[in-house]
Amino acid sequence: MAPIVSDERDDEKSISDLGSWLNSMGTPPSITGLMPSEITGLDMAPLVSMLGGVGIKSGVRGADTGETTTDEIRWLPIID
Amino acid sequence: MSSNLRITCGTEPKRGSVHSPEVVSQLFESLISPFGFFKPSSGLLGELNLSRDVYSLFSLSGHLEFESVHHLSQALSDLDSISIALLHMDSEEFAIWCGLGKSDARAHLLRLIGEMQQARIRVQGAQLQLNFEQSQPSAKALFRSLTQLALVGVACDVRQLQRAWIDSTRTSLSKKWISQFESIRVFKGRGDLVEGEPLTFTFHVKWKGVGKSEPAIGIVRNHLVIDVGGVRSFVELPAACSRMEAGSVHLSKNKFEVDFSVKESEWPRS
Repeated sequence: MAPIVSDERDDEKSISDLGSWLNSMGTPPSITGLMPSEITGLDMAPLVSMLGGVGIKSGVRGADTGETTTDEIRWLPIID
Repeated sequence: MSSNLRITCGTEPKRGSVHSPEVVSQLFESLISPFGFFKPSSGLLGELNLSRDVYSLFSLSGHLEFESVHHLSQALSDLDSISIALLHMDSEEFAIWCGLGKSDARAHLLRLIGEMQQARIRVQGAQLQLNFEQSQPSAKALFRSLTQLALVGVACDVRQLQRAWIDSTRTSLSKKWISQFESIRVFKGRGDLVEGEPLTFTFHVKWKGVGKSEPAIGIVRNHLVIDVGGVRSFVELPAACSRMEAGSVHLSKNKFEVDFSVKESEWPRS
């Protein structure tokens, strides 16, 4: 996971809410623009404590465990 | 099948003109929740670049506008990808994913899947209009886009295409290109498993024009994935395929065939 905390004063300001953090993580504006302000305005601090270690059993390659996902697409060789 | 929906492709959508039901907001809220967004499925959802176009598909408006045929195709492909991912999720996974309570998650998941299926039905029955006033694609690019659109199950009337072409270019499409456009057929999304040699099977899928489209074909869980330029369609495989190993894909002009071989260890001997 990318670092959330920065020594830069501007960065500290920019990551104070979920919407800003999403933008800093490269989330397309097409998604953040759709989010209700109640969501984008959420304070990051309690969310940060919840992040990490929670994933979707069927879809997440565990970075720590090397677990193989079950819904990765396996592309097949093609013969014309 | 027809619906009252009219879809225009080729016109830049007006900002803020889309009104979507609450369920769409909830969908995106789920997708961007900390639990789901930062650890997305690497198979189906991970590579998605969800756009406003997907959002538009849920609109109850009688008229939807898309920037291009490709944008409409991509939106439908993304919608189908999300549907497949959700159909493979149980309510507990969904609850973890979007941070809901388990009982709420079950109801929410079912409602969401229902809304997506309704959106799909409306779009497939819609009247599609092409408009090239803002930007004029090349016939080759348009052919590829309409092939992608056919792949996700939506047809385009060639006569309307010809009128739109003449209106914007003041020239007629050549007979060669008209013939090419007329050759595009909507993909049915079905196939047949046929037994061949002992312990080998072939899954036949008919799709006119497949030989020209250079698809990538893969498998995810119990579905075939057909990808043309990032636009994906899914074909459910027979249950028997879950005990078989997929091999090569044979492409020809109007169909493709996937080899399957039985994994003997998966079949108990009598």
